[in-house]
Amino acid sequence: MSDLETYRAKAAAWLESMAPTYGREARKGLAEADDLALGRRYQKAKFDAGFAGINWPTEYGGQGLTHLEKVTFDAEEMKHGFPNFYFGISLGMPVPVLMQFGSDRDFVKERVLKALQGEEIWCQLFSEPSGGSDLAGLRTKAEPDGNGWKINGQKVWTSWAHYSDYGVIVVRTDPTVPKHKGLTYFWVDMKAPGVTVRPIKLAGGDSHVNEVFFDDVKISDDHRMSPVGGGFAVAITTLMIERYVATDSAGFGPHLDLFVDLAKNTLLNGKPAIEDGRIRHQIARNHAMRSGLDSINVRARLMMQAGMIPGAEGSLNKLVAVRSRQKLSELAIDLQGTDGFAFDEHASQKENWASSWINAPTGRIAGGSDETLLNTIAEKVLGLPQDHRPDKGIPFNQIPA
Amino acid sequence: MTILYDEGQQAIATESRRVLEARTSTEALLPLLESVGEYHRPFWDTAKEQGWTALALPEAHDGLGLGLIELGLIAHQAGRSLSGAPFLTSGFGAAKTIELYGSDAQKARWLPALASGESIGAIAFAAGPDTLPAQPDVTFTDDRLSGIARGVSGGLAGDVAIVLANGFGMPVLALVDLTDVERTPLQSFDNSRCVANLSFVGAPAETLVVGTAARDAALHILALQAVVTAHEQTGGAEVLMEIARDYALTRRAFGQPIGAFQSVKHRIAELYGLAELARANCIHAASREGADDFITAAAAARLSATEAYDAAARDCVQIHGGIGVTWDLGLHLHMRRARSLAIEQGSSLFWEDILVDRLAEEAA
Repeated sequence: MSDLETYRAKAAAWLESMAPTYGREARKGLAEADDLALGRRYQKAKFDAGFAGINWPTEYGGQGLTHLEKVTFDAEEMKHGFPNFYFGISLGMPVPVLMQFGSDRDFVKERVLKALQGEEIWCQLFSEPSGGSDLAGLRTKAEPDGNGWKINGQKVWTSWAHYSDYGVIVVRTDPTVPKHKGLTYFWVDMKAPGVTVRPIKLAGGDSHVNEVFFDDVKISDDHRMSPVGGGFAVAITTLMIERYVATDSAGFGPHLDLFVDLAKNTLLNGKPAIEDGRIRHQIARNHAMRSGLDSINVRARLMMQAGMIPGAEGSLNKLVAVRSRQKLSELAIDLQGTDGFAFDEHASQKENWASSWINAPTGRIAGGSDETLLNTIAEKVLGLPQDHRPDKGIPFNQIPA
Repeated sequence: MTILYDEGQQAIATESRRVLEARTSTEALLPLLESVGEYHRPFWDTAKEQGWTALALPEAHDGLGLGLIELGLIAHQAGRSLSGAPFLTSGFGAAKTIELYGSDAQKARWLPALASGESIGAIAFAAGPDTLPAQPDVTFTDDRLSGIARGVSGGLAGDVAIVLANGFGMPVLALVDLTDVERTPLQSFDNSRCVANLSFVGAPAETLVVGTAARDAALHILALQAVVTAHEQTGGAEVLMEIARDYALTRRAFGQPIGAFQSVKHRIAELYGLAELARANCIHAASREGADDFITAAAAARLSATEAYDAAARDCVQIHGGIGVTWDLGLHLHMRRARSLAIEQGSSLFWEDILVDRLAEEAA
């Protein structure tokens, strides 16, 4: 057994032992506050068992291993439905960036340890009402104020801001230069005066994202994590950190086996739906697509293990998997006919077709919309020309609205 | 078996691409479309000279003892360069059948000849829309075949064929020497496939497998060939995506390269996705030969490769506009090949059923 397989077995055994206390069954019927509390205890248990910060430096409480162990652990962890999503953003992006770019090292260390143990949560304040895909077009501004800065503006789609203690934020510090060049990266205290968090209820009834308002929020200059005007580069670092995360060829929706089961147990025109050509066609196509993604991901892992850089085809994962999940979920509802009306807004997206369907659009938009991802593949992988960008090279304050 | 290519395998890919790109051209392939019974002899000579015919056959019978992964790499390149004959796949299928199910005498008689490429093999399982018919048109009685096997790729040039026949209501996998068998060439949209109807009139034949095992054996051979063909289709899809990309970078309209329009660039990005999914499925399937899930993996490879090649043929022509539909540019060679490869080794309809039957069983 390879070292990695030994690690996988160890992780799987520990996760198995945690499942009764923190897993899917234990969470059933819990109100969100109780679920979060359970999540904090689970995160602490991970820390104590040596499964938190797997690929982080040991001096910050991490395990000093590689992202291979991390991805291996994540893939095993995904099976049990643990309450870990409250910490996904926090430990995925803001805290690693803080580790890399925070200036006050003692402060950084304290924050990292508290975040790793689930005591504190960080959010990422990037998107704004005026633009999500066009990150550099943001309008929230920070102006010099005494020895520090004063922030005014609005962020949106901020996951878990309502539970967050801190956040990392990109703001405009100079509107007189082209848009990418006038941005600066800071961290902020989410409990500071002038910060207002307002949850946004999403289409599926869930409200883990928020609007965040900044009204004359004052911060000192030691909150700054990039050179003045150098914030875009740090923001891009943030987006690259988790480039090879654990993926799911089911698009974070139900496994295809569940659809096959449904088709076997549903009568269509007096026969099991699994015998219907239209249903069979979709099962076959979805299987072929998912097995292709699985193979891409296995190959990426093997390449990383061999010290190679995986191919660009990994960029297909979210694009291909989530939009397929959306259509398959529609078909699963069709298959159930009037039985398909039943809806439980707290049902798991990985187990319930209606929940998977209604939340699928979020998946196709968050973290890069389908259209943005296609542009990225066309431009970065295939070398096709950039879109026409009328705002290119023009000072931000002269871009026509 | 790992799905990372080792150095030897990478060398096979590089060398086969170099040779094929040097020896094939649109100009050489276009005339073949207008003559029945001709194939691209330089391609077949290259295959023999390079040892591709021997690649996946056992060393005991003059083969090179490599497997589906290596043959898949060759097929991928053959797909990129529009291989000028179908015999690499059909010869492999025929040889593999004899290797797995034949007697020592049959192996000694045919395997070295197939490995050297001196003999050309063909596979005759299908009867029109029926990829593996329960009641084949060809009958097997008293060691003789009678009836017509329709639309056999490579049949016109074949020296030996493996036929799925009906022997008193039971399936029989039979080996037949084609020397004295009458072949009627088919005028097809891709004439270098050398498609023919084989008319058996009491042709002497030998049994390889009899009964239900014959159908299982035929499916196994078909799956092996399907994985090879899927590589070829993926190569075709990949090169078409590149051709479309290169054209979109150079062709200008409305004051910019057409590749700057999202309707064009997204179409090409989608082709990239289809080709990569097919490639991933091919690599996976080739590594599963001999495993329990081989048929499932072969079906997934076949389905995604057929989809990728057809889509790439459609969209590459579309992106070219008017020039794309001209005879001389030759993109129609890929359109034609995408369809002939889609039919050979069973269409998507067949493989969807094979796949879903297995998935439904697993879920039971």
